[in-house]
Amino acid sequence: MRRVYPLEERCINCHLCEVACIVEHSATKLPLAAYHVEGLRFSAEDSRHIPDPAESSERGVPKPLTRTVVQTVEYLSISTTCRHCEEPDCVLACKNGSLYKADDGRVLLHEDKCVGCWMCIMACRYGAITRNPTKRNVPAVRNNGVNHHCDLCPDRETPACVWVCPTKALVFEDRDAP
Amino acid sequence: MSTYFEEPNGRVALGLRRPEPGDWHHGYPEYRVVRDDERCIRCLVCVRQCPYDCTFYDPERHAVYNVDSNCVNCRRCEFMCPTNAIEIVPWGGFRENDNWRPWLIRSVYKQADTGAVSLTGFGNDKEYASYFDRMVIDASQVTNPSIDPLREPMEMRTFVGKKPDRLTHDGERYPNLQCETPVIFAPMSFGAINLNFQKGLAMAAREMGTYFNTGEGGLHPDLRQFSEHAIVQVASGRFGVSLDYLSNSAACEIKIGQGAKPGIGGHLPGEKVTREVSRTRMIPEGSDALSPAPQHDIYSIEDLRLLIYAIKEATEYTKPVSVKIAAVHNVAAIASGIVRAGADIVVIDGFRGGTGAAPTIIRDHVGIPIEVALAQVDERLRQEGIRHEASIIAAGGIRSSADIVKGLALGADAFYIGTAAMIAVGCTACQQCHRGKCSWGITTNRPDLARRLQPEVAAERLANLLRGWGHEIKEMLGLMGLNSIESLRGNRLKLRGVGMTQVELDTLGIQQAGL
Repeated sequence: MRRVYPLEERCINCHLCEVACIVEHSATKLPLAAYHVEGLRFSAEDSRHIPDPAESSERGVPKPLTRTVVQTVEYLSISTTCRHCEEPDCVLACKNGSLYKADDGRVLLHEDKCVGCWMCIMACRYGAITRNPTKRNVPAVRNNGVNHHCDLCPDRETPACVWVCPTKALVFEDRDAP
Repeated sequence: MSTYFEEPNGRVALGLRRPEPGDWHHGYPEYRVVRDDERCIRCLVCVRQCPYDCTFYDPERHAVYNVDSNCVNCRRCEFMCPTNAIEIVPWGGFRENDNWRPWLIRSVYKQADTGAVSLTGFGNDKEYASYFDRMVIDASQVTNPSIDPLREPMEMRTFVGKKPDRLTHDGERYPNLQCETPVIFAPMSFGAINLNFQKGLAMAAREMGTYFNTGEGGLHPDLRQFSEHAIVQVASGRFGVSLDYLSNSAACEIKIGQGAKPGIGGHLPGEKVTREVSRTRMIPEGSDALSPAPQHDIYSIEDLRLLIYAIKEATEYTKPVSVKIAAVHNVAAIASGIVRAGADIVVIDGFRGGTGAAPTIIRDHVGIPIEVALAQVDERLRQEGIRHEASIIAAGGIRSSADIVKGLALGADAFYIGTAAMIAVGCTACQQCHRGKCSWGITTNRPDLARRLQPEVAAERLANLLRGWGHEIKEMLGLMGLNSIESLRGNRLKLRGVGMTQVELDTLGIQQAGL
């Protein structure tokens, strides 16, 4: 299947992939609306730590969190997204079947099932799974939330991060052995 | 990424600004960064992209700030901003004065602040009239047919080097460069530009059947595979010169002068001498690479002849040897001497030529325009009957295919483009090459910046530029009724001057428009 592959030597650490991801997964798909209307309190930096979901719900629809995270070490940087593995460890680790391997090869989430046990985060060897605190299925648990990872932009032919990358550091291609 | 309180010169973007007596030139910003706060989504792309400490993020207030006095108008943030929130505008400036221009006032401030020589990069940006822009090209009407280059073959191939005295079938032939287009990439050394850009130049040269020039910085091992398309330079510093270097090339070039800074040597600041540069140049890491002003073994034409033949002996007479000089007064006599010294190619670099670093005063005031220098050299070599003994490459101020066609008619065999090649890969002419932190990743060796320019992307854009210019040159040849570059070379009847004095017309060897 076609996956998003990063080319480390081309990444210039601009984080536009994160911007494109947020805009693509917003309600309107418009950047100004996504950032300004759908939750002013969330900044790009905020997506790394977890605010209180009650706080964001005051403003209606919260801004989506990025599903790709640029990891940086000195001048090296790389955009990390879900590998949609052949045999995904996260799906094996998921205790109630909320993560599943879809027919087209994508690893997807039943958002209403996830209880936020974070075993998928423990299991993922690529660090490609983050927490989405803006949804929670177990209200009793503080800092609960749901699994958050790349869904390969179901509304698009090419994922938004690949489309936006100014140095073509992300490619969307099929590298499976024939 | 910097936050607002990390500003290096101690001034805080949000804090009270102190007018510093020793820092007047920072007191009046040249540009203002106008950021539309309604459009700004705080993605911080601009903060991450700015290498000039102009854009800062304040995480406490979740706000982006700009220190306008640090902005150099490179426009990287404007280009990268995903919501078009940024516009760089010129600062209002001082009271209108046609004599004391803002840049002059600033330059006096800067030198009064520092007591130093003011450095700059890029090429001469002052208001000298361009002769290229006052020459117009002829076209065929009724009495001679024009040619459609899309339907009929056009010969663009150019041979650069010494030609035989007379045509014989089995006579002596001299090594020549075979260019599929008359455009060659100008000498830009590894160090002044980074390896990514040099690889891009080399790949584009190979694809388009032309050449790139290593400049004085030696040939990096990664570029060995392109040696058939490399002109290697021997400059006064002799950086990286060895027998191996001379042999792995298409031609060797002795650099006497550079159009942007005639009469002075090169200066690569120590910050740009990284490990790779130090290995290629064979100098210690982090040390300034200073080339002497003259070549200390060349004080006369006879000395030049010794070096030319030393290189020819070393390469067993298999490669043309070129000599590059800056266009200065009396250039015709100098070029004649160079040809008589045995050079196969004479490169003349006009005063609009670019540089990685030069004193501003020298860049702006020394040298002469390439148009007149080229016309005079071609004329002189013809008069002396030695024009066939060397090809002329014109450099320094070639901006478009029209300049190339006009230059061909003035007598050049081929052209170097340096600045145009940089602009093709993103340069916005902000003139900060000497600072080594080009935000477009061209004139920088900082690894985080250099990766902004990828060799494949650069090569594709450079090849596109040459392809586009090639089409335009063919069109212009066709409309003159010519089907090869050879027929235009030195054909000054195809040029007319507009708005020039008789002396200027005579110097260029062309007629007034209308005659």
